[in-house]
Amino acid sequence: MSAVTLTVLLAAAVLLGLAVVMSIVLGVANKAFHVPVDLRLEKVSAVLPGANCGACDYVGCGEYAEAVVMKGEVIDKCPVGGTGVARQVGEIMGMTVEEGFPVRPIVHCIATTSQRLKRTAYHGEQTCNAANLVGGIQGCVYGCLGLGDCVVVCDYDAIHMIDGVAVIDYVKCIGCGACVKACPRTIISQVPFKADRILAVQCANKDFGKEVQEVCEVGCTGCKSCARANPELISIVDNLPVIDYKRYDPKASLQVIQDKCRRESMVWIGKPTPRQLELTEGEAMPVRQEAEFKTTVDQTEWRG
Amino acid sequence: MGHLAELLLIGIGAALIHNFVLYYFVGLCPFMGVSKKIDMALGMGLAVTFVIAIASTLSWALTYYVLRPGAPVSTWAWSLVSGGAGEVDLTVLAYLVYIFAIASSVQFVEMYLRKYFPPLYKSFGIYLPLITTNCAILFACLEIMKNVVGVDAVAIWGLDKALMLSVGGGLGFTLAIVIMAGIREELELADTPRPMQGPPIAFIIAGILALAFMGFAGVDTALGKLMLGGS
Repeated sequence: MSAVTLTVLLAAAVLLGLAVVMSIVLGVANKAFHVPVDLRLEKVSAVLPGANCGACDYVGCGEYAEAVVMKGEVIDKCPVGGTGVARQVGEIMGMTVEEGFPVRPIVHCIATTSQRLKRTAYHGEQTCNAANLVGGIQGCVYGCLGLGDCVVVCDYDAIHMIDGVAVIDYVKCIGCGACVKACPRTIISQVPFKADRILAVQCANKDFGKEVQEVCEVGCTGCKSCARANPELISIVDNLPVIDYKRYDPKASLQVIQDKCRRESMVWIGKPTPRQLELTEGEAMPVRQEAEFKTTVDQTEWRG
Repeated sequence: MGHLAELLLIGIGAALIHNFVLYYFVGLCPFMGVSKKIDMALGMGLAVTFVIAIASTLSWALTYYVLRPGAPVSTWAWSLVSGGAGEVDLTVLAYLVYIFAIASSVQFVEMYLRKYFPPLYKSFGIYLPLITTNCAILFACLEIMKNVVGVDAVAIWGLDKALMLSVGGGLGFTLAIVIMAGIREELELADTPRPMQGPPIAFIIAGILALAFMGFAGVDTALGKLMLGGS
């Protein structure tokens, strides 16, 4: 054989030898440094929704699964999955779950722009966070500002500004709580939905009577009629009715509470009823426009 | 004295004067990617230093004993197959073999850390596998090769010099990335013009840092004269 052929063969042999040696070393190392991984980890990860929304206070579903399996974290922390997921996780971990309900946000304001009185023109930065620092934008210092900080943070297209007030789309909402954190006036709160539609107080004004009527056409005046109708469920705190959702029984007849309300603060909210769906059935849905590109850095809008 | 001084010169040279990142512009990906927080930058720098030391030891051994013309192993194999004495040059395999050595040593280190230092393994996270494709490490291996292959027999680098270069280079990388992270942490508070925010200003800072490190140029000659007595 010529010298060249031999050199090439030698080179091949060197690489082959190196490969064999390295694979033996790595193979032995793999056995010697083997770390047992809990099989449950994979199962729990598979059961979790995988939305990685962070509502459980972990970075993502994977981290939460790890915490559940390794550190014994409670298994019902996922508001997205609700009881169903908690039960499945419980099966894997050998635990049982008490009955729980999916947690969804409620906007405690229902007044549209025209119903909110004593408003002043505001030309500053168009975010609630900025507007909230300025006094006298509108009469009601508790209510929705309508600039949509909550809309921006929602990753699920589940909250919209309709007539200047935030309205949640409970079909799309997964309960991650991003809007709750975004609202500078803290008028969005998370409550357990025991039924598809529940009764909620949609006002945050802590003033009484005339003071409320001066700034809002629909807000709660603190008249206590609802609390008198069902004192067990409703208590009055700071001139506002507070529904105790722990005692909330979706099967009880609660319509009387709403009927007693002289304003428009006691509202049924939740997924649309069959009747509502029927009414809007024939209507054409607007075609949703997808943005051509997204920027993650700049969230301010240009309004020249 | 002479040998020790030479080692010191190689170390200082690799760390400061011919800094891998700021002089040769290798290893820029982690330099830009992992330089947002000082503790993470420090972790990345130390991981690189660790891996670079292991990889360069391996690649020096492979170059010295197998690849270079006249290496003991290849000479022996040559005499075995051709039946006569002679030299064979396998340096064409250098890149392949180095990448091979780097990748498998990173794998090995990863498994070792996972078993015995789980917190360290967790804090390295994705960066350890990423080091596999870090050009600073391949660069160190190639620099060592330059001083083992194609030089006079007396000037061939031993393992000590190879290690000095790689550890010095690794520490220089750590220094550069930590300085960068320190500046970028402060920069978070600065009122940077919007189009310059993020990567653009980071690249400009890297350029200014590189300029600053150019100030070390020539220090090695002066140091060499001082320590080796005017050579």
